[in-house]
Amino acid sequence: MEKTLNRIHPVSHPEETYFLQVSWEKDLGTGFGIILSDGQCAWTGKVSEAEISREAADMEMNKEKYVEELKKALIAGEESAGKYNFAISRDEENTACHFSYERNLKDGSFRLGSLKLQKVSNPAEVIKELIGYCLDRLGSLQAKNEHLQKENERLFSDWSDVEKRLEKCVEAKEELEADLYNRFILVLNEKKAKIRNLQKLLNEARESAAAA
Amino acid sequence: LSTVNKVSNVFEDVEFCVMTGMGKYSKLYLESRIAEWGGSVVQNPGPETYCVIVGADNVRVKNIIASNKYDVVRAEWLLQCFQTKMLVPWQPAFMIHMSPDTKEHFAREYDCYGDSYTADTDVAQLKEVFSRMEDRKLMPWDVIVELEERYSWNSCQLSIFRGNTIYVDCYAVVNEPRTKIHGTTLSIRALELRFYGAKVVSHLEESVSHVIIGEDHSRVKEIKALRRTFGKKFKIVFELWVKQSVEEGVPKDESQYLI
Repeated sequence: MEKTLNRIHPVSHPEETYFLQVSWEKDLGTGFGIILSDGQCAWTGKVSEAEISREAADMEMNKEKYVEELKKALIAGEESAGKYNFAISRDEENTACHFSYERNLKDGSFRLGSLKLQKVSNPAEVIKELIGYCLDRLGSLQAKNEHLQKENERLFSDWSDVEKRLEKCVEAKEELEADLYNRFILVLNEKKAKIRNLQKLLNEARESAAAA
Repeated sequence: LSTVNKVSNVFEDVEFCVMTGMGKYSKLYLESRIAEWGGSVVQNPGPETYCVIVGADNVRVKNIIASNKYDVVRAEWLLQCFQTKMLVPWQPAFMIHMSPDTKEHFAREYDCYGDSYTADTDVAQLKEVFSRMEDRKLMPWDVIVELEERYSWNSCQLSIFRGNTIYVDCYAVVNEPRTKIHGTTLSIRALELRFYGAKVVSHLEESVSHVIIGEDHSRVKEIKALRRTFGKKFKIVFELWVKQSVEEGVPKDESQYLI
């Protein structure tokens, strides 16, 4: 079961804050549950797969595309803020609550879906659950963060270790090359000295032959 | 030593003086093998002594060398004679010290490092010659560049950047090696450049042929300003130039990598 918790502001009262939890199995398109709370009261409702299909058909929209829209509206949070509107209307006794979500368009809006939520008899339990969910999420994110940080440190230290080793290899290669060239030159120059010497002897022999 | 059985005449009438043994071959062992092969052994070298055999160095050996009268030969030579069952000709590698006569003889055949003037050498022999050279001088980079150009070795895969003097933009402040930025790919590029023959410098000076820039382009303006003051202009290239040149094994044309 997957869940998201977002803060939403109804279009009619933008200063009010509601908490919207959406929960689903595997994919939003197979139906989802909603919990809405203003911090005091809580309402709950369900949207089945059949209803999602029907909504999509009513709007003459491809179901996949419709589900994409739902995701953006209900679970994307910050990224799609302002692009979607939420309307919440409660009756006097707070027993029921109409919740609808719509896509904001340049000229007006486009209703994606609406449902009637039922009041929860024990809102404190629901709110506890929401806070519990937040804390669990926080805990797991912290653990993940720590793990990634450690991983990062390890990668960095591995990197600098390899870099140092590579530098040693490069130094060794440079030194070996310079050393071999030096030895090579010494031996090569010995040969050239010999050739010079032989040339000198040859010239001397030629001169003495010419003299004779 | 009078009781040994003669097994060969290879050393017939040759007088040796074994000074020290080596490893598992003791002085006594070497002496008795010489006797088996028909040679004679003395404890102090005299006018009739063919050569002094030495396994390990000691004070007596040093004195014999200092006297400059005898040929001092490594025990390995003797072992090779035993192994091949013949009188192996002396080679420079066997000689610890040579008497003036022998030295003159060798000088006609070998250079002072023991490389023959006339016989072809091979990898093992050249290695051996090199290993006996005590001069541990390193050839300066620019001499290597000249040498490789002269013998056309500069097309070698390890010489992709040979002849180039390169500044790598891996210091937060230009020309301040203390401000080196660690853990970037640029420091790897710098090592690659060196590995493939470049001279990597930490100061941007007239002699520089290339400047390598990474992802961070914040110092390009300053580097370009510096270039305007130079007589010889260096090229500013993206690090991809290094990467792709190394991958293809040839220096790539810089024009596609200029910044």
